[in-house]
Amino acid sequence: MRDYWLNRLFFDLQNPAAAAEYRADRDNVLARYPLKPVLREAIVANDVATLAPLVNAYLLRFYFLVAGMPEEEFLRRIRASGEQAHG
Amino acid sequence: MADLVGIYAASHGPMIVRSWDVLPPASKHTLTTAFAEVGRRINAAKPDVLIVISPDHWVNFFLDNLPSISIGVGETHDGPPEPWLNDFPHKQLAGHASLAQHITEHVFNCGFEPSVSYKLALDHGFCIPLWKAGIDPLPAIVPIIINTVEAPFPSAARCFDFGRSIAEAVNRYEGSLRVALLATGGLSHSIGEATMGQIDEAFDRECLQHFASGDRDVLLKFLERKMPLAGNGAAEVRNWAAAHGAAGARGFDLIHYSAMPEIYVGCGFAAWGVDKNINTNK
Repeated sequence: MRDYWLNRLFFDLQNPAAAAEYRADRDNVLARYPLKPVLREAIVANDVATLAPLVNAYLLRFYFLVAGMPEEEFLRRIRASGEQAHG
Repeated sequence: MADLVGIYAASHGPMIVRSWDVLPPASKHTLTTAFAEVGRRINAAKPDVLIVISPDHWVNFFLDNLPSISIGVGETHDGPPEPWLNDFPHKQLAGHASLAQHITEHVFNCGFEPSVSYKLALDHGFCIPLWKAGIDPLPAIVPIIINTVEAPFPSAARCFDFGRSIAEAVNRYEGSLRVALLATGGLSHSIGEATMGQIDEAFDRECLQHFASGDRDVLLKFLERKMPLAGNGAAEVRNWAAAHGAAGARGFDLIHYSAMPEIYVGCGFAAWGVDKNINTNK
């Protein structure tokens, strides 16, 4: 199941101007989206494992590129999310 | 009368461009050689129109409305919006509205209900193969998007049959045109999921064997069973299935395959012979 507003945020950040605004003032951008508190916290915490089941995988990968997470770090976290999911 | 003069497939991973400067020389050579051979064959076929079947990677469509199939019927299409494709040489690409509308009408008569778009932006799925293959001059493009990014997906069998209907439509078009078809994407890869970076080379090689065998039913059963297990990017093999259908499941010719973990993709390049026996009713 997808969370619409989480996907909408990541989709919108494909726009370079929106991405620049997000990097400059993340809280102000997040305030425009009616995100569930737990998801807003997961975004702020770069909690890949919480976000992954609720968002399209391509948008998830794109978001963490925009957010500036190094590739190796994203790979470590997304792979660990699979280990968590499978116990 | 229009003639289908060639059918091709090529992978399109973004890192082919985004990471080009840091790829090992051997990888660059592999990709350059494979794309060049696809381009050589397309250029030799001298198409007036190139039908390109690709996914849309969240450029034109979103969860608000996500068509299973969409046909670009516009006079022009926008070039890729990805900032890392700024060097792509075309900001706009000519379409072929007449052929696109004809294909749309024909596939509706065959039981398909694609959406239509009068203004598409063609993302890396379309533009990386067009660019890297060196297709020159660039023919008019009829873009066809098959949803392979977010479930529910059309079945491989449905895509095969859709491809066959495209070929029929081309062969029934009244105008004098040379038309080629290029399917992009695949083979196995995994992006943004726990298996990211893994390439299922066994899947890829068995998949290619089934394309080569020409046994439609075995291929389609294999894809329905194995495609969901080979990474989310493997869903794009549906585009290859459509090309295979357009070719009447015959004449598959593998140009190159390499598992390329440095770009996260099992990279495949292929061509098909053209099935002159597809129903034309000319």
